[in-house]
Amino acid sequence: MLRSLRLAALLGGLLLAAAASARDIDAASYGYPLTNPFEATIATTPPEQRPTLPSDDDIDQADYSLTLRPEREFTLPDNFWSVKKLRYRLAKQDHEAPLIFLIAGTGAPYSSSINEYLKKLFYQAGYHVVQLSSPTSWDFMSAASRFATPGVTSEDAKDLYRVMQAVRAQQAHLPVSEYYLTGYSLGALDAAFVSKLDETRKSFNFKRVLLLNPPVNLYTSITNLDKLVQTRVKGIDRSTTFYELMLEKLTRYFQDKGYIDLNEALLYDFQKSRQHLSNEQMAMLIGTSFRFSAADIAFTSDLINRRGLIIPPKFPITEGSSLEPFFKRALQCDFDCYLTEQVIPMWRARTDGNSLLQLVDQVSLYALEDYLRASPKIAVMHNADDVILGPGDIGFLRRVFGERLTLYPHGGHCGNLNYRVNSDAMLEFFRG
Amino acid sequence: MVNRLLLVTALLASGCALAEEVAPRASVVEADKTETLTVEADGFVDPLRELKFNPGLDQREFERSTLAALNIYDPLESLNRRIYHFNYRFDQWVFLPVVDGYRYVTPGFVRTGVSNFFNNLGDVPNLFNSVLQLKPKRSAEITARLMFNTIIGVGGLWDPATKMGLPRQSEDFGQTLGFYGVPDGPYLMLPILGPSNLRDTTGLVVDYVGEKEINYLNVPDTASDHPELTVLRAVDKRYTTNFRYGQTNSPFEYEKLRYVYTQARKLQIAE
Repeated sequence: MLRSLRLAALLGGLLLAAAASARDIDAASYGYPLTNPFEATIATTPPEQRPTLPSDDDIDQADYSLTLRPEREFTLPDNFWSVKKLRYRLAKQDHEAPLIFLIAGTGAPYSSSINEYLKKLFYQAGYHVVQLSSPTSWDFMSAASRFATPGVTSEDAKDLYRVMQAVRAQQAHLPVSEYYLTGYSLGALDAAFVSKLDETRKSFNFKRVLLLNPPVNLYTSITNLDKLVQTRVKGIDRSTTFYELMLEKLTRYFQDKGYIDLNEALLYDFQKSRQHLSNEQMAMLIGTSFRFSAADIAFTSDLINRRGLIIPPKFPITEGSSLEPFFKRALQCDFDCYLTEQVIPMWRARTDGNSLLQLVDQVSLYALEDYLRASPKIAVMHNADDVILGPGDIGFLRRVFGERLTLYPHGGHCGNLNYRVNSDAMLEFFRG
Repeated sequence: MVNRLLLVTALLASGCALAEEVAPRASVVEADKTETLTVEADGFVDPLRELKFNPGLDQREFERSTLAALNIYDPLESLNRRIYHFNYRFDQWVFLPVVDGYRYVTPGFVRTGVSNFFNNLGDVPNLFNSVLQLKPKRSAEITARLMFNTIIGVGGLWDPATKMGLPRQSEDFGQTLGFYGVPDGPYLMLPILGPSNLRDTTGLVVDYVGEKEINYLNVPDTASDHPELTVLRAVDKRYTTNFRYGQTNSPFEYEKLRYVYTQARKLQIAE
């Protein structure tokens, strides 16, 4: 009897091992309402399917600032006064608790809407929460980044690590039991590199690290995002620009409705109306938002490093100076342009780097393949229809993370993070 | 025995785990009514594959749209930018700390009551302007709002009208001017009040004077003796305005704010 049971257990174990592949969530049981990846990316989850979260008034939180690069006080122009110190947000529990760091995505500040959402989610579950800006955001580049040329992920991670250490030093009286780390989009890639760094520096000994929708190959991701503004959008012609088209649609929508009511349900209602956007239009909209991030990054990096590509070095800027001519120039620079004109030259000069391929290998998840495979504390949640992924990327995640990859069938790019099923899975992962 | 139990539970657990991991990928395609997405071997569904791109990938629509959008008449840009920075600092160092204090000392229902009260006062210029724009339906709705909220809502502290399906609709004299075709005029950044333009600033003055003349619920008269009422109104206004300087986190916030303000006003006028 006992022997047969053992045999059965062995067989079961073997089966389990064979199935130690990614947790694929099937669409039927997942039940996420938006099957269109672009809609999901823009609108995220409908309000009634989000988890119930505390309001800001119920959270003990405040913004703090750190002086990490004191010389920037003098080298940055006057109209950068608001980003000479790095701000972050801390939500405190009133007792000893674990602390979780949140890293924002491309170009996003610590107060980005996804960071705010994650803060509420984890605060409610009993964590101290520290919200950090992305190394690609304007404030981080100006106030915390050593080279102010984000894109070389290992360097960005070092900057982030210094920020985290400074946060801990500033909050020395906060009773913290253990440290956790998460990030979304580019912030997830950063989190992976920060976690790797922590293995040698040992400041935090992160207990668990969760990557939410990370880019796998950073170059694929930026190429995809750059490409989004190349869609053929119906309705654009010689006299109508893309924005005018969008605003016309919005105006007609409100006129049909009879009044302006800006609320959370607006986007779903809009997509159900006659004015709804096509896939190409939504793609263009997402691409546009990323192009603005690219412009900010290109301009800021150029200005701080005095490269003279967008703004002449030592060009006098006061609070009254118009930045429009530089904005116009920066707008013409997409991610690929920023990479070629600013990141690669600096990376080559600093590290004897060679080809683009070599850079891509160094800054993407590929660089951490062995580490990620051997680290049971790191997990990843991704979507099968995420716009920042390319062919083979999910295969890579499956090989490297195995059962630590949870793959959702829908959600686009980060659209399902605030879906109840996802939020439960995130909390469950950190609960251990 | 315990050992045996453990084994059985392990087996059961593994069964559950397996059941969880069944992944009928085909169902993804079935769920997609709109398009037939091809699923790759590793489960990837490329969203870009379904999009129509322009063949050369060299369209400059983003650049064209954005450069056109920057074209807003702003002759006082240098001064406006200085005022923008002044407002930013004022907000950070004075206004928002005061709002935080207000939030700290008052319970939520009091703040809602205060907002409702001032909104109810604001319905007077709303009504006035919607009559001027010859919008009978909207005027009737705002009149009904004023009646319900003032009488049932005890001087406007409650807002029963919104619950009855009469949402607040804002009309100001700037919109009335726009409705009759008055152009924006130069863009202006007003100290403390924020983005505006010549037309809307004129509207602001007219609405202010009008409110004083009508003297609804005697509040404007009382306010001239009790400046704290005006301060409360300003704090409430800031409390209910979500905009934060620096929220775009961009070195080009001034340009973005200018564009959004101009377009938002166009939208309000058109509707």
